[in-house]
Amino acid sequence: MTATQHVKLTINGQAVEADIEPRLLLVHFIREVAGLTGTHIGCDTTSCGACTVLVDGVPAKSCTLLAVQADGAAVATVEGLEQGGVLHPVQEGFFQEHGLQCGFCTPGMMMTATALLARTPNPSEAEIRQAISGNLCRCTGYVNIVKSIQYAARKMQGAEAVPVAASASTGAEVRSA
Amino acid sequence: MTTPAQAPIHGMGHSVKRKEDPRFLRGRGRYVDDIKLPGMLYMDIVRSPYAHAKIVSIDASKALALPGVLAVITGKDLDAAGLAWMPTLMGDKQMVLPVDRVVYQAQEVAAVVATERYIAADAITLIDVDYEPLPPVMDPMKALQPDAPLVRPDREQKTNHIWHWEAGDAAKTDAAFNAAEVVVQQDLYIPRIHVSSIETCGCVASFDKVEGKLTIYMTTQAPHAIRTVFSLVSGIPEHKIRVVSPDIGGGFGGKVPVYPGYVIATVASIQTGVPIKWIEDRSENLQADSFARDYHIHAELAAGRDGTMHALRVKTIADHGAFDAAANPSKFPAGLFSIVTGSYALDAAHVEVDGVYTNKPSGGVAYRCSFRVTEAVHTIERIVDALAQQLNMDPAEIRFKNFIPPDQFPYKSPTGWEYDSGNYPAALQKALDKVGYQELRREQAEKRARGELMGIGISTFTEIVGAGPSHTFDILGIKMFDSAEIRVHPTGSAIVRIGVQTQGQGHETTFAQIVAEELGLPVENITVEHGDTDTAPYGLGTYASRSTPTAGAATAVASRKIRDKAKKIAAHLLEASEDDIEWADYKFQVKGAPGRAVTMQQVAFAAYTNHPQGMEAGLEAVDYYDPPNLTFPFGAYICVVDLDRGTGEVKIRRFVAVDDCGNIINPMIVEGQIHGGLTMGMAPALFEAITYDDDGNIQQGSFMDYLLPTSMETPAWETDKTTTPSPHHPFGAKGVGESATVGAPPAIANAVVDALSHLGVTHLDIPITPWKVYSILQEHGIAEA
Amino acid sequence: MHFEGKQQINAPIETVWQHINDPDKVAACAPGFKSLEILGPDHFKPTVAVGIGAVKATFTLDVQRVDVQPPTHAAMVGRGNAAGSGVQLRAAMDLTPQSENVTTMSWTADVTVSGTIASVGARLLEGTAHKLTARFFDCFREHIEAPSAAASTTPGEGPGEAQSGAGSETQSETPTS
Repeated sequence: MTATQHVKLTINGQAVEADIEPRLLLVHFIREVAGLTGTHIGCDTTSCGACTVLVDGVPAKSCTLLAVQADGAAVATVEGLEQGGVLHPVQEGFFQEHGLQCGFCTPGMMMTATALLARTPNPSEAEIRQAISGNLCRCTGYVNIVKSIQYAARKMQGAEAVPVAASASTGAEVRSA
Repeated sequence: MTTPAQAPIHGMGHSVKRKEDPRFLRGRGRYVDDIKLPGMLYMDIVRSPYAHAKIVSIDASKALALPGVLAVITGKDLDAAGLAWMPTLMGDKQMVLPVDRVVYQAQEVAAVVATERYIAADAITLIDVDYEPLPPVMDPMKALQPDAPLVRPDREQKTNHIWHWEAGDAAKTDAAFNAAEVVVQQDLYIPRIHVSSIETCGCVASFDKVEGKLTIYMTTQAPHAIRTVFSLVSGIPEHKIRVVSPDIGGGFGGKVPVYPGYVIATVASIQTGVPIKWIEDRSENLQADSFARDYHIHAELAAGRDGTMHALRVKTIADHGAFDAAANPSKFPAGLFSIVTGSYALDAAHVEVDGVYTNKPSGGVAYRCSFRVTEAVHTIERIVDALAQQLNMDPAEIRFKNFIPPDQFPYKSPTGWEYDSGNYPAALQKALDKVGYQELRREQAEKRARGELMGIGISTFTEIVGAGPSHTFDILGIKMFDSAEIRVHPTGSAIVRIGVQTQGQGHETTFAQIVAEELGLPVENITVEHGDTDTAPYGLGTYASRSTPTAGAATAVASRKIRDKAKKIAAHLLEASEDDIEWADYKFQVKGAPGRAVTMQQVAFAAYTNHPQGMEAGLEAVDYYDPPNLTFPFGAYICVVDLDRGTGEVKIRRFVAVDDCGNIINPMIVEGQIHGGLTMGMAPALFEAITYDDDGNIQQGSFMDYLLPTSMETPAWETDKTTTPSPHHPFGAKGVGESATVGAPPAIANAVVDALSHLGVTHLDIPITPWKVYSILQEHGIAEA
Repeated sequence: MHFEGKQQINAPIETVWQHINDPDKVAACAPGFKSLEILGPDHFKPTVAVGIGAVKATFTLDVQRVDVQPPTHAAMVGRGNAAGSGVQLRAAMDLTPQSENVTTMSWTADVTVSGTIASVGARLLEGTAHKLTARFFDCFREHIEAPSAAASTTPGEGPGEAQSGAGSETQSETPTS
C-alpha cells in the first residue's frame, strides 16, 4: 500500500483535510472526499474543462492537479458561487440567457467566467471567447454562454441587466475573434 | 403558494426560463457519477488493443491478488450464464464479453470489480491477455470481397454483408434517367464521427437480493426500452427492474444503445448483491461507443438542361462496424435515409443501401443524425449544387425552380413519405434577404478578381422526425408511440409524467408549458417527471427529435381528456348544461355570458370536494399517442466563408439559419437547440472524423486528436424562423432538435466548393480540413507561403 | 510501419555478426531497454519501456530468431504486450562485406502497433519510431566500431522515457542457457 499524505485545503472557504494517496487527483478529492459533485469529469487529456475550479483565484483543471498540489490552497467550486441564498451574477446570467442545456459543462464554464470577470470586468466578446476556449460545450454552441457572461458583467458593474430578447438574431455585429 | 389569479400561465410561445436550471447552476445536478450508494463497488474494463484477434488466454491472477480487487469477469463466466451475447436494438446480436475472439479495437475483454475506483484502474493493467492477432478488415468495400476476413463467424451467412434495403421505384427511375438531358454523378463519403457529449456513458447497477429487485441508474435516452430488453435477457420480470435515467450530460443519440459495460455491471451486481458503478473514461468512450455516420454514397441526379430535376438514384454502402447495433426502427435498417429526395419535386427516385460489417466498434445513429437524415440531406444538397455548377445556374435559383410548391402539401414523395406541410420558398427567401445574398455575390465577384477566396453555400433541407406511426415503426417490436400521464391536484397544481427523456432539451420546462397552455394552469405550478420506469408511463425515449411530435402530442391529448372531464365539472359548478360551456381565455365560460366562468383551479378543487354525483373524483388522464404521421420540419441555411490562402483555414464569416418547426413551445429553448445543432453540424463539416489505420487502430483516441469546436471556432450563429404548423399534430408542432445538424454541413461544404469552383473544384468530402484546402491551393499554385 | 536502412560499419563482417548475435550487445543499444530474459539460444524476452507523446508503456516482448545464416543473414519475429497495447514485429538483417574491415549492414523491419499507444499516440508514432530506430542503429554501429569507448557511450534513450539508460552493466538478468 502506498503511504498516504495529509492534505489540508479550503474549499469555498471551508477547511477540508484528509489522509490521501499522493496520486489522488484534485477533482476526485473535491467530488469524493469533500463530497462536492458539482465539478465534473469530461475527458482524460485535460482537454474539456468540465473540471475547472479556481485554485487561489486562478482557473485550474482539477483533473490535472493532484490533491497534494493543492495542499494549503483556497479552492473555489461552483457550490461556493451562491452566497446567502443569492445567486452569483454569473449564475444569474446563465439562467437569464439560457447559457446551459444539459448542465454538465456549466460549473467549469461558470468558474472560468468568474475568474475572467474578476480580472476583466468588462470583457469584449473576443475576450470572453478566448477565456472560455478551454471549456468545451456540446449543447449550446457558445452563443448564449457569451451572452450569459456579458449579462453577468453588466450586472456586476451595477448596470441594469436586461436579458437579450430570446429568438432575436444576434446580427452581424456580434462576431467571434 | 402563488395565487392562481396572479401567476402567469406562460404556455405556448413563451420563453419561460428553465425549471431545470436551479439545480444545474448550483452544481446540484444528479448525474450518474454523482450517485453513491452504500457498499458500492467500482468496475473497470480491460479492452482489446487489437481490432481482430483470437483470445488465447486470460490470466487474472495478478489482478486478483491486488488488495481491494473482488472479482474479475470474463466472457467464459458470462457464457456459463448464457449472457456472453446480447441482442442489439437492430435485431443483431453483440458480444457482452468475448469467449474466444475480439472483433474491434477497444472491445471489452474482461471486467474488474474493486472497492475503489483507482484500485480497479490498477487492476486492469495487471490482467494478462494473450492475443493472437488476426488480419482486420477496416474498409467495407474490402469487406465485401470474397477473400476478406470474416468479421462475424457466429452468423449463419458467412459473409460481411448484413442486409440490403431499397426504397422507391427502380424502373421508373431508370426510365427517367434514360430520358434525361443531363445526368450528374457524385460520390460522397460521410466519415464516421463520434458524438462526444461532455458526460461519457456509465451506470450504477444495484441488485437487492432481499427484494429480488434490480435498479439501474443509467445514462440512457430510452429507459423503458432498456428495462424490457434487460428483462428479456436476464429473465428478471419487468416489475422487478427499475431503470432510472438521472440527469444526463448530453445524449444526442449516443446514449440509446445498450453498451456491454451496462450489462457486465448488472451481472456483477446480481452476483454480489451490492451496487456496482461503471463510468467510462473519455478514451474508452471515444474508442468504443457512441459513433455515427460512415456512409459511402454514390448519387446520380437526372435533370433537364433548364435545371428541372427529374430523378434521383442513390447507392450506399453503410459501414456498421462489427455489430449492427444502430438503433433504427426495425423496418428501416438505413433509418430514414430515403428522405434523400429532399425538398424537391422529383418524378422518381430509387435508393439502395447495403449494410456491411468491418472490424470497427458498432457504427450508429448517434450525433443528432435523426435516423440517417444527416446523410440523406448532405447527399441531396451536395448533388443539387453539383447540378447547379454543371449548368452554370445560381444555387438559389435552381432550388426555387425545383421546390415542392407550398400548395402541394401533404406531399407524397417518390420514396413513399407523406410530407405534412412545408413552405420552402418562403424560408429560402427569408434567408437570402437576411444574409443579403445579391450583395454577397457582388462582393464575391470583386474578391475573386483580386484572388481572394470567398464562398456562399446554401442548404434547404427537409427533416423527418417524430417516429412513428405504429403501422410502420417499431423498435424490437415495441411500437413507437409515446405517453403522458397528468394528474391535477386539488389546489390547482399538477404533475406530468412522460415517456421521453431529456438530456438537456428542457423537457421539465417545455412539457409544463404544454400543460399550462392546455389546462390554463400557471407553468410554475406544473411539475414534470420522467426517466424512472417505476413511475413514468411507457415511452420509447428521446432521440431523432421525436419528443414534441410524440410525447408532446400525448401530453396535449391527455390534457384535453382532462379538459373534457373538467368541462362537466364546470357545468356542474356553473349550473349550466355542458353544451353551453366553452373553453376560452383559459376558463370555462357559459356561452354568451362571459362573466359566468370558472378557472381550471376551481374545477380541480371541485373534482375532489364537489364533483357531480355519479362521477369519479379526481382529475387526471393518461394518453399513449400513436402519431398518424411523422412531422417534417425544414429550413434554409446560408453560409458565407472566407478561405485563408496561407493556412487553408475555412473561416465562417456568417451563418444564417431560418428554421421552421411549426408552432413553438419555448422560443428560447428552440433557439438554443439550433445554436447547439449548428455547432454539431460545423464540427463534422470542418473538424471531426474518426479514422482507422490498416491495422485497425483508431487515429483519434483522445480529445487531443478528436477536435471538438471551441468558442474560438464557433461563429455567432444568426437564427430566424418561419412557422408552418403540422396539420396533424395536436398543437401544430414539429420536432427541431436535430434540424441544424442536418442542415448545416452541406451549407458549409457547398460554401467551400463555391469558393473554389472557379478553379474547377466540384466537390469536397467533409471534414474540409485546412490541409485539404491548402493542398488544392497548392495544386493550383495559389497557396500563400 | 515499415522501416529499412543501410549502415556502413568499419569492422570486419565476423565482428559485426558476433555483435548482432550477442543479446547483451543488442540490448545495450535498444531504446528503453529494461531487462532481458534468455529462454534459449534463439529465444529472448526483452522488456522495453516506450513513450509516444503522453503515453508510456512497458512492453514484454517475446522474440525468436528465425532463419539464421551466419555470417550474412538473420531474421527475427516477435510479439509483445503492454497494458492496453500490443506490438508485432518482423525484422531482418543482411551483412555484406565491402572490404576486410568494412561491412554494409542492411535491414528491414515491419512493426505493427495496436492499442492505446497507436491510438492516442497516432500522430507521433511513426516519427518517434523512426527516431528510435535510427538511434538504435547509430548506437550499434558506434559500439562495434569503437568497442573500447562503449562504456562511455550513452545507450539508447527514447523521448519522454523515464529510463536513465539501458546497459548490460546495469539491468540485464543473468542469462542461463
